[in-house]
Amino acid sequence: MKYSSLAKSLAFSVAGVVMALGATSMARAETPSWCGPKQATLALLDGYGGNSWRQVTAGSGAQTASLCPSITKYEYVDGQGDTQKSISDIKATAAKGIDALVVFGDAGPAVLPAITSVFKSGKVIVPYRVTVGGKENENYSKFVGTTFVDNGVFWGEWIKKNFPDGANMLFLSGPAGNSQGLDELEGLKRVLGPEYKFLNPEPFAVTNWDPALTQKVLTAEIAKDQKIDVIISDFGPSLVGALPLFNKQGKSIPALATSDGNSLGCLWHELKDTNPDFKLFTVATGTDNVRLAVQWAVALATDGKAPDTNIFTAPIFEDSVTGQPNAVQCRKELPGAIYLSSELPAEDQAKAIGQ
Amino acid sequence: MNATSMTPDALPRQGLLPMPLARSFVTVVLSTIALLVVCRIFAPSSLSWGAFSGSLPFAAIIAIVGLGQLLVVQQGGFDLSLPGAVSLAVVIATHHPQQNDALLFQAVLVALAFALAAGFLNGILVSFFKLNAIIATIGTNALLYGAVFAVSGGVPSITTNLLGEIAGGETLRLPNSVLFALGALALVTFILKKTVVGRRFEAIGANPLAGRAAGLRVRTHQMMAYVYAQLLYCTAGILIAGITREPTAFQGDSLLLPSVAVVVLGGTSLLGGRGFPVSTVIAAFFLNQLSQFALAVGVPFSAQTIIQALALGFGIGVYSLRWTVNVRKTTGTKTVEENK
Repeated sequence: MKYSSLAKSLAFSVAGVVMALGATSMARAETPSWCGPKQATLALLDGYGGNSWRQVTAGSGAQTASLCPSITKYEYVDGQGDTQKSISDIKATAAKGIDALVVFGDAGPAVLPAITSVFKSGKVIVPYRVTVGGKENENYSKFVGTTFVDNGVFWGEWIKKNFPDGANMLFLSGPAGNSQGLDELEGLKRVLGPEYKFLNPEPFAVTNWDPALTQKVLTAEIAKDQKIDVIISDFGPSLVGALPLFNKQGKSIPALATSDGNSLGCLWHELKDTNPDFKLFTVATGTDNVRLAVQWAVALATDGKAPDTNIFTAPIFEDSVTGQPNAVQCRKELPGAIYLSSELPAEDQAKAIGQ
Repeated sequence: MNATSMTPDALPRQGLLPMPLARSFVTVVLSTIALLVVCRIFAPSSLSWGAFSGSLPFAAIIAIVGLGQLLVVQQGGFDLSLPGAVSLAVVIATHHPQQNDALLFQAVLVALAFALAAGFLNGILVSFFKLNAIIATIGTNALLYGAVFAVSGGVPSITTNLLGEIAGGETLRLPNSVLFALGALALVTFILKKTVVGRRFEAIGANPLAGRAAGLRVRTHQMMAYVYAQLLYCTAGILIAGITREPTAFQGDSLLLPSVAVVVLGGTSLLGGRGFPVSTVIAAFFLNQLSQFALAVGVPFSAQTIIQALALGFGIGVYSLRWTVNVRKTTGTKTVEENK
């Protein structure tokens, strides 16, 4: 018993070192700078918790909160994709006496009134990743965003490097008009000139991030018998079932610029030898976005030192061409639905998604 | 209306063919041919072999769930538990084996057991407790989704290689899933049209009161419609698990509407009665080809949606038009104007 708790705290402090990443001294690794002396309780409110990405995110949030001893209680609430429930979750959690709330506002501005009322009642509330409208210090304590435009820029730069004379590209994103896809497109266009041609209808091919629809969309595009040099997708794992379609139609899988996922990495290792054009480049899928949001909430609630930034940038994760910063990763023995880019250790992710 | 839709069989047979072709069959075939011609002109790529081999598996899935929905609709019911049923089969087929081929057979059995349970639940609620079919099956759907979350936690899992080969592979250049759909079609058609059970099933759908008067076990047949339907949904779910390598836990959601659409396009009355399995399967091909066409013409998503809606409306419109003409012919009734 004693040994296991020792091992646990050891594991946490090791994780803390990784978190602080070369920033500071050993003393800080035990209690991060964003963790102040004032005791507080914290809740993470998800608008929708039913996929592995969210579960890994929830695990990352819990792990980040556990680094701060001033946080006496941590709760996770799942809105189950129901806007009404998300709104009442936010109010109910505050009413229960939780001091700091981190909110993934899937429903967008619809949850702003609830967020505002909680903020006005003197709680710390930090919406993150999805824009909910409103203003800092008026509607909420701090908004922790992410820059999808940067993802587009990273992809664009990689494409430019690997296809210097221009390329035919297919850009797949989620539901029609989703702002993530539009931001990414802006980033791509910032880097790529007119010699880089989009084969998909403007602004992106709609896939709803559904593997079955992705497969149908890709089938239609491959059948047009046009040369596809690069596929760009903001959810790599949804392509895992669809990519072998190229082989079925007697073609090599083209280069792919996307976000990471264990199943995708493993697919690359499986198919790279038979598909000479299959290069893979990924940005981290952003499950660590929640860490920055939790750090902000904890810092504000416990009087700790606020982090330097409120914008999370997903770093480049894999590049099969240069192997920098990482070669393509695959952990075959672990579930496909985990994200090796996440700071949460792969084994803990497997536990978080219940496998 | 149900009685009249049964009459063509009862009337003396006329015409060149030994058996008159069902008007719904003619309609759906003509619509499909028209669509193929339009595809040939505006989106030839959607007719290539590559496009077919990629998209036919999805047509097969729609066909199989359509056949299930057909059986329920024939009894004047509606099965809204389809999304949960398909999703549950998907997650059992992927989560239970966890990529271990040896456990696949077991997973299929477990999935079938759940399908039977859900089918009997639906059937008993609707036929014995006389609950409204829509309400009862929505409730069952919620229960099934509960099971989906219990099994998967909402997380996708990768399919086993064996299932990938069985469902996603090809035999004689034809996707295996298409063979499964044709098998399901043959089975449903044979039982419905050539066995005593099937004939009774259809007769009860057309008129339950007459069925009861004739001494048929109306409630049992009505209940079994939901059970057969669940077994077909389960088959479809297991196939989806194989076709998409990493299916989500909500793969059934997008199938509910197409399942009803193909039943209607296939010419089966939503009030029950005679069923048209062959037309339903052709309608599934039509619907799938329609979405491939919309994708292949390369227009914006909004236009794709409009094209699909218009073509679907056209398909159903053509069918309704022929239906009125045909009823007049077969029953010999005349309109007021003609009597003058």
